[in-house]
This record gives sequence, structure tokens and C-alpha cells, in this order.
Amino acid sequence: MPEINLSTAFFIGLGSLTIVASLGTILSRSPVTSALFLVLNFFALGGIYLLLEAQFIAVVQVIVYAGAIMVLFLFVIMLLNLEDEQRLTERYDVKKGFAILFAGLLLVEVLYVVGLKTPAIAPRLGTVAAEIGTAKYIGQQLLTEFLFPFEIISVLLLGAIVGAVVLAKKNFGPERATAKTTL
Amino acid sequence: MHQYIFLTILFPLAGFLINSLFTLTNFLGWRTKERETLVGLFSSLMIAIPFGIVVAIFLEMLSEAERPAHLVEVYQWMNTGLMNVAIAYQVDTLSVLMALIVTGVGTLIHIYSIGYMHGDDGFSRFFSYLNLFIFAMMNLILGANMVVMFLGWEGVGLCSYLLIGFWYDRKFEGTAIVSTGDAAKKAFITNRVGDFAMLGAMFLIFQTLGSLNYTDIIAKRDAFDGTTVFWITLLIFIGCTGKSAQLPLFVWLPDAMAGPTPVSALIHAATMVTSGIYITARLSPLFLMAPQTMEIIAVVGAITAIFAGTVGLVQNDIKKVLAYSTVSQLGFMFLALGVGAFQIAIFHVMTHAFFKACLFLGSGSVIHAMHEEQDIRKMGGLRKYMPSTSTTFFIASLALAGFPLTAGFFSKDAILAEAFASGHIVLYAIGTVAAFCTAFYSMRLCVLTFLGEERFNKSVAAPTTSSVAEQEPGGGHGDHGYDAHDDHGHGDAHGADGHAIHPHESPAFMTVPLWILAALSLGAGFLGLPAVVTEHSWIHGWLESSVMQAEAAHHLSHETEWILLGIGSLVAVLGLGFGYFVYAMRIEIAASAKRSLAFLYTTLLDKYYIDELYELLFVRPVQWLSDKVLFRFDTSVVDGTVNGIGDIFMSLGNGLRKWQSGVAQNYAVAITFGLILVIAFIAFR
Amino acid sequence: MLNDLLLTLPITIATVWVLVLILCEAFVHNANLTRWLTAIGFAGIIASIFLIPSPEGYAYGTMLRTGTFTNFSNFIFAVSGLLVVSISDKYLEEEEINFGEYYIILFISTIGMMLMGSAANLSVIFIGLETMSVALYTLAGMLRKDVRSNEAAMKYFLLGSFATGFFLYGIALIYGATGELALPRIAASLQTNGVSTLFWIGLSLLMIGFLFKVSAVPFHQWTPDVYEGSPTTAAAFMSTGSKAAAFSSLIIVLSNISIALPNNAVLQTAFAYIAVATMAVGNITALTQDNLKRMLAYSSIAHAGYMLVGIAAGSNEGYSGVLYYALIYTLMNVGAFGVIAVLERHRTLTNASDYAGLFKQHPLLAGLMAVFMFSLAGLPPFGGFVGKYKVFAAAVEADLTWLAIVGVLASVVSVYYYLRVVIFMFMRDPEPAPQANANATGSFALVAIAVIVFLMGIFPTEVLKLADNAMKVALK
Repeated sequence: MPEINLSTAFFIGLGSLTIVASLGTILSRSPVTSALFLVLNFFALGGIYLLLEAQFIAVVQVIVYAGAIMVLFLFVIMLLNLEDEQRLTERYDVKKGFAILFAGLLLVEVLYVVGLKTPAIAPRLGTVAAEIGTAKYIGQQLLTEFLFPFEIISVLLLGAIVGAVVLAKKNFGPERATAKTTL
Repeated sequence: MHQYIFLTILFPLAGFLINSLFTLTNFLGWRTKERETLVGLFSSLMIAIPFGIVVAIFLEMLSEAERPAHLVEVYQWMNTGLMNVAIAYQVDTLSVLMALIVTGVGTLIHIYSIGYMHGDDGFSRFFSYLNLFIFAMMNLILGANMVVMFLGWEGVGLCSYLLIGFWYDRKFEGTAIVSTGDAAKKAFITNRVGDFAMLGAMFLIFQTLGSLNYTDIIAKRDAFDGTTVFWITLLIFIGCTGKSAQLPLFVWLPDAMAGPTPVSALIHAATMVTSGIYITARLSPLFLMAPQTMEIIAVVGAITAIFAGTVGLVQNDIKKVLAYSTVSQLGFMFLALGVGAFQIAIFHVMTHAFFKACLFLGSGSVIHAMHEEQDIRKMGGLRKYMPSTSTTFFIASLALAGFPLTAGFFSKDAILAEAFASGHIVLYAIGTVAAFCTAFYSMRLCVLTFLGEERFNKSVAAPTTSSVAEQEPGGGHGDHGYDAHDDHGHGDAHGADGHAIHPHESPAFMTVPLWILAALSLGAGFLGLPAVVTEHSWIHGWLESSVMQAEAAHHLSHETEWILLGIGSLVAVLGLGFGYFVYAMRIEIAASAKRSLAFLYTTLLDKYYIDELYELLFVRPVQWLSDKVLFRFDTSVVDGTVNGIGDIFMSLGNGLRKWQSGVAQNYAVAITFGLILVIAFIAFR
Repeated sequence: MLNDLLLTLPITIATVWVLVLILCEAFVHNANLTRWLTAIGFAGIIASIFLIPSPEGYAYGTMLRTGTFTNFSNFIFAVSGLLVVSISDKYLEEEEINFGEYYIILFISTIGMMLMGSAANLSVIFIGLETMSVALYTLAGMLRKDVRSNEAAMKYFLLGSFATGFFLYGIALIYGATGELALPRIAASLQTNGVSTLFWIGLSLLMIGFLFKVSAVPFHQWTPDVYEGSPTTAAAFMSTGSKAAAFSSLIIVLSNISIALPNNAVLQTAFAYIAVATMAVGNITALTQDNLKRMLAYSSIAHAGYMLVGIAAGSNEGYSGVLYYALIYTLMNVGAFGVIAVLERHRTLTNASDYAGLFKQHPLLAGLMAVFMFSLAGLPPFGGFVGKYKVFAAAVEADLTWLAIVGVLASVVSVYYYLRVVIFMFMRDPEPAPQANANATGSFALVAIAVIVFLMGIFPTEVLKLADNAMKVALK
């Protein structure tokens, strides 16, 4: 039994919150409630990142996910006006049971590995753990060692944008020749 | 020079491809007349160039003192893993000689076909098949390993099938056969039997040696034990009985005459059917290790020779006579192989290629002139209309009969002498009788076709039973040849339309090859003079480096040999003379003989009922079994197993299909399931 | 930096070219122009591979690998893209989705594939995988007015993201176990620190990501639904390029870490079992399919199984066999889909029975389809036979003879459903059947593919040598 210090206590608290929030997300009937639980989940995750001294990720988590993306989510939900959420729920059936069973099995497996067989932790690149999480360090890494992935990810984003435009734009057919804007 | 051997294979292939293009694009189209000759000459050129190359290689080798086998590797087909398959060609004296025959005779027959196929709808298709055949045949004889050989082996089988069925919608008579398509199928199926045996032999060799190169097989032949060698050689021989039309698998060859006549000349007389002899000679060291197989080969060869020779005596279809004659001559060759005279067998392959090709082409010329009539009873007196054809046909017949100093005389006599010398006196006797039959039917064929009175314009209007005794319709025998011809298209030219036939000499495209082949039929024999004349004949010297001969070369004293030569000449002259006497002077002898020996006559005419026997032994029982027994068995047991396997797969498929619910969540569940399995397997080994 | 750009010339060209394409489409709005420019782009990539083949080494630190392996795999992707472009235009016009964006997305997807095929770092593999996948999701939904296409895109996206989650988690665990993302350094770390269970879990999760992309059983179920719903030409691209990319990435990972895993019998056995399941399920289910697109989807599952046999062999022989297989499979499968695309009319005329008597009406198309079917069935002398022979021979050499036997049996089963198409085309009487709308480019491409498929069966040695060479150098 490891000694319980403050960070451990925080971890247990945030971890439980994450789990509860996740369950709330998938179990709640109203989409809005669900989305709000997800926000909670993101906040809790951000807290865990902070505990791990990954300040930058924690901030990004809160700003991008909890802030931007979830607001977008909520807007969409409200615009679509999904009041009849009952239709989205399915009848409980065997497959759902299987899903729960497999999820449980997977959990057991992962717990077994993480819990019983202590993994060999590799040396940490000679950097103090605290430094890794800072924006400065990440920025340095992104523009030196990980410059190529950092740059090439723009192609991914470009593809996603073009794809989104193609799939989502109205009046996008042969008659498009008249419509001037595409991107 | 030998390194250019691959060109001899590429040119026919190119010819095939380009001709196929012609066929696909309907190149001949409206301007058939002008373009036909162009296409034909092009195809001939695609064979003539390889012939030139082979001649160059031949001359080069001729000037060498030592004639080692050159291996020319063109391409490593799969140079990976367990098996290396190389497209490699072996250039040695044997393969060069065979290549000379194939390309030389092939060129002549191509040129001949320009005239023969004139006006046919499938002109360019015909030439594309013909080129493809030469391509396959060159692979067969030049291949340095049995894989390439077998590809060629199957290739020539395919071409043979395609060309027998070339006029696939025409009728063709035969036991259980009504159309050329059926004849093609029969050839194909019969050949498959032999092919499986050949594959079995290859498998046995590969299992022991791990290689199928001829050089390896011969160099490491001591690795085989006696039983293995016996089985390998026997299986190869069974393969050869299929391709080279020996008992019991010869039945397809007479029916193969359904194809156009140049095809009969090229494939079913001069080249493809001799590939069995080639393979045996190629692997002669292996065969010499298996004396039992050799005995079997000799006996089968001799029996086939006499069997087909006697059947040939009474056939009335000009091409059928030649077909049985071919079977008979192939029997002679196998007799030579069986007594260990491999070089002599190849010598006979060569001479036979010349005179038999000449005979077939001559018969084609006759058939051409007679408007597709093939029955010799409806011919006669053609000599004055077709001087070139008749003269060359006569020369080739003499060679076939073994008339002294012709090509056939030397080769056939050498075979019989070897049989005698090796102590197979009975086989020698059988061979001699077969030779007599050969001489007799050769003369009968010549006389009935070219001499005597003209019967072609009378036969339908007023059958002249008196002049040609054999022409009585309905003599109690199932005269297939006659019946069938009357009720199918061939008769139209003179029957239904009432037009008289005006025979005419064939164009130069057809007669020139005839003269060349006739000349060769006369002269080629001097390459293999008997031992009494020259101690070491040219053919022995040439093949020495590539074909092994049996030990102790069966030395005969000069006296014995002179006696044998004398007997051979006598038999040939007597046979020819007797044939001339009967058919040209005393035709009533034939008629009375036919009446008094009716049983024998019909037996021969019906080919010893071999086809019927097979029908009775194999086809009917199989049909009966399948109708009466297997049908029930089939519905219950076989449906439950063979079809059942299919059903099982199908229902399995249907079962698996149900898992494909179309619901993405379920797919995710399946992915998770797989994930658990993988992690469980990998992480908790 | 400039040197790196040159070392990875195909990727550099593609990245610049995609901007050209987008600008062109944005300002000119001419799908045909974009199509030609895309084709030129692919041709340029192929040309650069041949004219300036990159030397062995790394680029951008240890982010990308260069050399023969990369050249070979990039060639496969570019060929796949080029062929799909050349069979697309008529189909797209027919289905009224002739957008320039289709080609742009296709091109972006190819960049993703090239990243996967030349990655030396897990982060690059991931970015490549995502770039490719996002583009493919869009391609699947290109038939915007068609519910089935929407469904296909959605399904592909959901399940793909699901699998990507595992993939990313695997990368995280591997990083946790070794502290590295670069593959060579991961191997080095494993050698010094030993192989932990955490690493094994990470690797398993990583494999799941790949196995999903190659549609191995039981991660295959999306395949038929997505291929059927997608535009036919897009399905051709998904089944070939993305599969080849996943396999080449898988080979990169496995060949790198195999140095550190002295005895990878476990991995080998796992792949062998998955290969068996994949071959069995793919072939058996294909037997019951009437819709040719679904049939080809199951057939693509089965072919993934054959390629997994080569992966299970775990040797250079096996890997180079997979490379060769990926190339020949790309050719013959694009060909088969191409013929279907020519005949298809708004989701009809895709059943085998619709092909009855095709030979009488369109002998060329029927002949081409027959070549592709024979090759897919693995009959000599077509290229498919050589590919199968190569992977099975590798399995035999790796003491997995039983696996090779299962593979041969599975191919025997497959002959049934491939030849069924041929029998319909050649031996049944035609019904009032389709009017083919093959245009010159499309027909030319299909004929060229058929000829190459044939040539790769008759003269496979040169390409086999290239594939062998790619593996030999890559593993050093």
C-alpha cells in the first residue's frame, strides 16, 4: 500500500471524477446533459494532466476541448433540437451485453498488465520531468526534433478541410460552375 | 550462334500475337483476297527465320569437332524460395536436329497452307494457331528442363485441340463422335491421361533430385534406385503413348484427321506426335537403366505397328489411311527405342517427317482438287489432272513403303536390323509383316487415287460396282467413312448441286513444298546408311554426343546384315508389287478376298473394334454406372459429400453473412473481441 | 533541410503539388483540368522514384526512412493513385459527382500513404494513417445524395476512429515502455532494457490499428459495407492503396523491432492464426455474394489473409513477398473495380448475373475482367499466382507449412467465386444488358493493367528482385 500523499489523493479524486463523468456521458438520456458531463470529464482530465506536470497539455485540454469543441457541440445539439432523444436509445439486447462483457474483459487485461506486471520505465531523455510539460519545451521540440510531423500535419488538416467542404457544402454539383466560392 | 536460339522461339510467338491481332481486328475484312497472301507469307516468314537460325547453328555445330550441349538461359522465371524455374534452352545435336525438322517442315507447311486455306473465313486465325503450335513445339524440343518441356507439351496439346476443332461446326464421323468438336475433345481427353502420367514422372524425379534439368537428371541418374527408375520411365512412356498415339491411347489420332489437312501433316504426322520419341531419346540414359520398361516399349511399339498397319489396309478415307500409317510408323519408332536404338528412332522421326508430311500435303492437294472429297473409292485417274501431286505422292509412298534406296528404306531397315540384332526375333518378324502391310496399303492408296478410271463424277449418279469392288454400299459392315460423307456437307459439291468435279492441279504455293518434301523423302536416307556400307553413318556421328545408344550396339556380321537388307527390300518390293497387282490389274481379287474374308475385313475396317471396345469397357460402364448406380448414389451419398462440401461452404458463408449485421456498433464489439484475443495471446503468452 | 526535401522527393513533390491542385480547383473550377493535373502529379512522383531514387538513410532526423523499401512502396501508392484516376472520370460523370475535389482528396490520401510507407517514427506513421484515413472517409461519402454512401462514410469514420484510438493508445504504451518514438531507437531501447509486458500490450494495440486498415478478421466487418456504399472507383483505391500502405507500415514496424525480439514465435503464431481466420472468412463469405462489389470486398479480405501469411513468415522472404503481392494486387484489383465502374449505372448492374453474356456484347471488357479474375484467383500464368507462390513459399521456409496448405486450400475455394463471374460472362446468354461507357483513357488504362498483370506473371523475376532488394537493405 503506497503512502497516501496529497497528489495521490488528488489523483484518486480526479480519476473517480473522470470515470463518473464518462459514465454520465454515455448513460444520460438528454444530449445536453451528456455534453455537459463530457465537459466535466475534460476538466477532470485536465486536472490529471496538471498532476503529471504537463501544464501545456492541461491548458490545451481545457481551452480547446472543454472550451471550443464542447461549445460547438452544444450549439449543434441545440440547433438540431434533439428533443426526442428516446429515438436514439436502443433496446437492451444481447449485443449490448457482449459489449459490456468485452469492455470488462479488456479492462481486466489492462489492469492486469499495468497492475501486476510492473513495466520497465525507460530513462526520460535526461530531462527533468517537470520541464517536459512546459510550453517552452514543447515548442522547442516541435520546431526541432518534431519539425517534420509538425509541418506535415498541415496536409492532414488540409485534407480534413477539403473533405468537410465537399461533404457539407450545399449546392455542390454540376451547377456549381456558377457558384464562385469553394474554399 | 547458339545463344540466339531464343529467337527461334520468339519469332513464332510474335507471329502468333500479330496474327491474333489480325484476327481480332478483322484485318482481312473486305479485302480478303489481297491480304490473305500477305498474312500467310508473314506467318511463314516467322517460321522461316527461325529455320535460318537453326540452320546456322547446325552448320556451326557441324564444323565443331566436339559438340557439347550448350545451355542458353533466357530468363529465371521464379528465382525464389524452394524452386528455381529457369526458362532455359538446351542446344545440342538432338535438339538442333529436331528443331531443323520442326522449322523446316513447318515452313513448308505454312507456305502450303497459304494455298490450302485460301478463302477460308478463319484464315488468320488458322495461321495464328499454327504459329502458336510452332512456338510450343520449339519449347518442347529445346527446353533444358522438364518444366519448359512440359509447358510446350501442354501447349502443343492445346494447339492440337484448337486445330482439330478448327472447323468446329463441321460434322465428322467416328465412334461416338458426330462433329469435329467432339474429335477435338476426344484428342484432348485422351492426351490428358498421358499428361498425368508425365506429371507423375516429373514429380518422382523432382522428389529424388530436386531438379528437373536434363543435365542434372542424366548426371545424377545413379541417385535413382531400380524401382524408381522403372516407375519414372514407365510413367514417361505412358505419357508418350498419349502424345505419340501408341496402344492403348492411340484412338484420338485417326479422329484428329477432322482438322484441316496441313494440320494433320504438321502436327499429327511430322512433329507433335513424335515428341514422345524425342523425350525418350532425350532421357535415353535413364531408360537404359530400366530394362523392363524397354521391353514394354518394344512390345507396345511392335504391336502398334502391326495393328495400325493392318487397319490401314482397308480404310477408304485417304486421310484415315495415312493416319493409321502414322500410328504404325510411330510404332516402328518405339520399337527402335525399346531395343535401345535411340539414334535410329530419331533417324526414322526425320525421314518419316519428310515422307509423311509429303503424303498428307499430297492428300490435301487431292482433297482440295476433289472439293473436299476424301473417299478414295470416289477418286481414281487423277494422275493426268494433277501431275505434280501424283508424282510427289508416289515418291513419298515409295519412301513410306521402304522401297530400296529411299529414305524410309534406310531408317525402317535399320530399326528392323536392330530389333533382330538385339535378339527380339519375334518383334523383328512382326515388324517385317507390318512393313509388308505398309508397302501394300501405300500402293493401294496410290493406285486407287491416281490410277485407274475416273470414278468421281459417276459415284453418285450411277455407282459402278463392277469396276471398284470395294465400293459396294452396305456390305454388312458399318462403313463409317462412306455413310458419313454422304450425309454431310462434303457431298454437296458434286451430289446435291449436281456439279461435276473438274480436278485441277493445285497452285504453286502447294506444289512447291510437295516437291521439296519429295526430294527429301528420296535423299534423306543417305544420312543414315547401314553399317555394311559405312562403318559410322552420319546420323550416328551427329547424335553421338546427345543420345545414348544401348551398349554393344548390337553388332551383326556383314552377311547377316546384307541378308536383312535383302529381306527388307524384298518385303517392300513384294508389298508394292502385290498392291499394284491387286488394285491396278485384278481388282476382283480384292472383291473376292473381301467376300471370303468378310469377318477379317470388317474387323480391320472397324479398327479391331478398339473404339467400340473402349466404348464398351469405359464409356458405357461409366454411363451405366452413372445412370443406374451412381445416380442413386449420387443423390444420396455424393450429394451428401461432394456437393455437401459445397453446401457446407455455402451455408458457412451464409452463416458468416449473418454476422454482417450492418450495425456499426456491432462491428465495434467484434473489434473489441479481436483486441481482447490478440492482447490475451500476445501479452500472456 | 534542403537535402531532406530532396531525399524525400516524392513526398515533397506531392505536398507542393497538392497546393497547386487546390489553387487550380479554387480558381478554375474545372474538374477535368484537376484530373489531368492529378495524373501528372502521380506521374511525376513515379518519375522521381525512378529518376532520382533516394539512397539508403534517414531524413528529417529519424522521422523518415529513405531507400529502396520506400521507393518500392511509394511506387505502389502512386501507381494505385494514377490507375484510379485514369478509371475514374467516366464513372464520376455518370454518377454526377465529377468534382475536382475528388482528385485532390485522392492525392492527399496518397501523401498519407507515402508517409506510412516511409515512416521511421511512430508519430509519422500516425499522421500518415490519419491523413490517409480522413481522406478515405471523405471519398467514401462522395456520393453525397446517396444514403448508402453517407452510411458508408459514417461507418468507416466511426469504426476507423475507434481503431485509431487503439492505435494511438498503443503508441502511447510503447512510448511508456521504451521512452522512444523513433523505431530504430525503440529497438535499441528494447535491446538494452528488455521487452516488457507493457510494450507487448502497446504493440498489440498498434497491430490492431494496422489489422483494421488491412481488414483482417475480426476487424474486417466494415469492409463490405464501405466498399459497397462508396463510389466504385474510391473502393478500388481503398482496397489497394490503403491496404498496401498499412502493410508497408506494418512491415516497417515489424522489421525494425524484430532485431530486438530474438524469438518472435508468439507474434508469428498470432499472425498465422489471424491469417487463417482472414482467409477462411473472406473466401467463404465471398462465395455467397451476388453483388460484385461486395464479392470483391470479401475477396480483398481474403487477399489480406494471403498477405498476412507473408507477414506471419516474418522473414525477408515473406516481407518482400507481401510487397510484391501488394503491387500485383493493386493492379488486378483496380482493374476489376475498373471494369465494374465501366458497367455500373447508379448502383445497378453490379450483380454477377448482370454480366451474363458480356462477352458477346463487349468482348474487350469481358476479356479484361477474365484476366483480372484469373489473376485474383491466383491461376498461372498471371501475376496473382506469383504473388501467392511467393508468400506461401516464404511460409514454408519459415516452418509454417500448415499455413501454406491452408492458404492453398483457401485459394482453391476462391476459384469458385472468381470463375463464376467468368462463366457468366462467357457461357450465359446475354440479357438486355448494359451499355458500356468506357472511354479511351479508361479502356487504355484497363488494357495496360491487364497486360502488366499478365507480364508480371510471365516475367516476375525483375520485380521480385526489386522487392527482395527492398527488404534486404531495409533490414540492415
